[in-house]
Amino acid sequence: MKTLWELKAKQAAVVETINSQLTGPVISRLQEMGFSKGQQVVCVRRSPFKGPLVVQVGDCVYSLEQAVAEKINLALAS
Amino acid sequence: MERIVLVGKPNCGKSLLFNQLTGLRQKVANFPGVTVELKTGQFDQFEVVDFPGTYSLHSLSKDEEIAVEKLNLAVDDDDTRLVVCVLDAARLERSLVFALQVQALARKNNKAVVFVLNMIDEVERYGLNIDIKALQKELGAPVYALSAKTLKGVAAFKEALPSLAKQAQAPTELNIQLGEQRKFIERAREINAEYGIRSDVVLKNQNRIDTFLLNNVLGGIAFLAIMFFLFQSIFTWAQPLMDGTEAAIGWIASALTGVIGPGIVSDFLNDAIFGGVGAFLVFVPQIMVLTLIIGVLEDSGYLARAALICHKPLSLFGLSGRSFIPYLSGHACAIPAIMAARTIESPRKRLITMLTIPLMSCSARLPVYALLIAVLIPKDATFLGVFDLQGAAFFGLYFFGILMALVVSTLMNVFTRKSKELKDMPFILELPSYRLPHWKPLFQRVINSGLQFIKRAAPVIFVISLCLWTLGYFPQGAGLENSLLGKIGHFIEPVFEPLGLDWRYGVAMIMSFLAREVFVGALGTMFGMSGAEENIAGLAAQIQADGLTLGAGIGLLLFYVVALQCVATVAMLRAETGKSRIAWGLYAGYGILAYLIAVIAAHIV
Repeated sequence: MKTLWELKAKQAAVVETINSQLTGPVISRLQEMGFSKGQQVVCVRRSPFKGPLVVQVGDCVYSLEQAVAEKINLALAS
Repeated sequence: MERIVLVGKPNCGKSLLFNQLTGLRQKVANFPGVTVELKTGQFDQFEVVDFPGTYSLHSLSKDEEIAVEKLNLAVDDDDTRLVVCVLDAARLERSLVFALQVQALARKNNKAVVFVLNMIDEVERYGLNIDIKALQKELGAPVYALSAKTLKGVAAFKEALPSLAKQAQAPTELNIQLGEQRKFIERAREINAEYGIRSDVVLKNQNRIDTFLLNNVLGGIAFLAIMFFLFQSIFTWAQPLMDGTEAAIGWIASALTGVIGPGIVSDFLNDAIFGGVGAFLVFVPQIMVLTLIIGVLEDSGYLARAALICHKPLSLFGLSGRSFIPYLSGHACAIPAIMAARTIESPRKRLITMLTIPLMSCSARLPVYALLIAVLIPKDATFLGVFDLQGAAFFGLYFFGILMALVVSTLMNVFTRKSKELKDMPFILELPSYRLPHWKPLFQRVINSGLQFIKRAAPVIFVISLCLWTLGYFPQGAGLENSLLGKIGHFIEPVFEPLGLDWRYGVAMIMSFLAREVFVGALGTMFGMSGAEENIAGLAAQIQADGLTLGAGIGLLLFYVVALQCVATVAMLRAETGKSRIAWGLYAGYGILAYLIAVIAAHIV
């Protein structure tokens, strides 16, 4: 399975699960911010040197660092 | 008083609505050690409380925990009549998750809820509209569409507000309980699918600007230009205001002492009150100018982008992307920089940033650097044949400060990694839409920053100023050399010996705790010169003739880079961290570190 961190710029996918290595409160916050199962995400841009990626989730645009992005598992976009 | 509570997600335009409701008179309540600010204002016969923007009732950090706790208390309170949930009309789904949670909380406490669909102008600009009546039915509570910016619908809302707050609404059937977290998310998605506007329409503009401002090359140039502008403005715009404040204080001082006539009272007023406490008022304009610029950056949406650009490099040192602006501001003055650190999301990174800001070479160090560099380095010396050696030395000192800050923050990061109290928040940053900032909330922030500084730092500065003045003044008429302070200086001379310095430097160093630049004037007095601040070259010549060794001089310079010789900063750190232990501990820690560095420099050069 792919993670959000592996998404290339302009690529879209659908959120599947969030890795339980993150703590419960962080997982629910991510879900509340839009990273919930079935939600479509689009990678807007990648930063050089493995900097935070920019991702569009529903009506919001977020910037996430590697440590978080690689804990979000994706299903490939239909 | 009857109360109205205002809540909403971050960036939903809540602060502006609050300002439009309450006008410019408001009170800000702070809580020591956290960034939570509760703003209170008056609307009609109601007290309106503006809560910090939050994504959820489930807190991640200590700050959020306190904000949520206060919200729970407020909703439970009998005086609370109405809870206003502010929604971003263009981002219905995201704002509804939190709003629905608050609605459930209000229902549990039998409180009425009203939804405000803010920024409706943005929706209309795209030629779209939202079916308010149907949404009202769906949410089971009144919905008001308005724009706090264009004022559209605000008058109608204001008119309806008193009656909304008066009539206790019959609680609608409870469809979601507070604990059912997932259901809020699902419900928000359902409602958005039905009533929300298409997100790609909303985000098109924002993404277009980001293509430029986050571009690897153009975005980098824009970033540097904006930061250069910010840095310049602190010096150039704040300088006339600072000079004006200084002149005004000087004028009041001379007018007052002129009336009283010479004597101990006049000396006390002139030196302890106007000289000591007055000197710190000079920083107020600088703090306000910096708050204004940071406020513009934040409200326009650029601050989040700046944090994104800086995040990776700074994270190598245990800092956040949001640490950059505080660090940059620290080169002007540590106090607004420490205040600016409030925007850092992770409590641990915020603390580390605040504790390392004092290592940035602030403007109060400039006179000290200028004096010592003039003593140590001949005017026309060059470095590598092209660079002016004096200029290179200045640059070196700034660089040394930044280097020390990065080393210290890396170490602090390693040592606090296991701390439970300082939870590290993951770096998830919303990139809000670009908007033109509105002057009302900005104005409030600027005024508050000045007032907060005065309220927090004035008492400590008064006490220290009083102590130093007493020690330096008595026995009366003896002059600084034979005063109590002079005696103490002689007594503790052995402490300064390893630095290659005598008691005169020691006394000047002790006195400079009030503010670093005091060092120059105090040292001048010890060398029998008055008004040395205005004649740095003259004092430098005297010190040269007196024979300050190169090693001791370099040691002294490095001491001033590292030491936390600023009582206002200590007071600010104490207020922001909520712990005296941390503030004074840092003072002692940097003092010892600075001393050791100076000793080493004095011996190896």
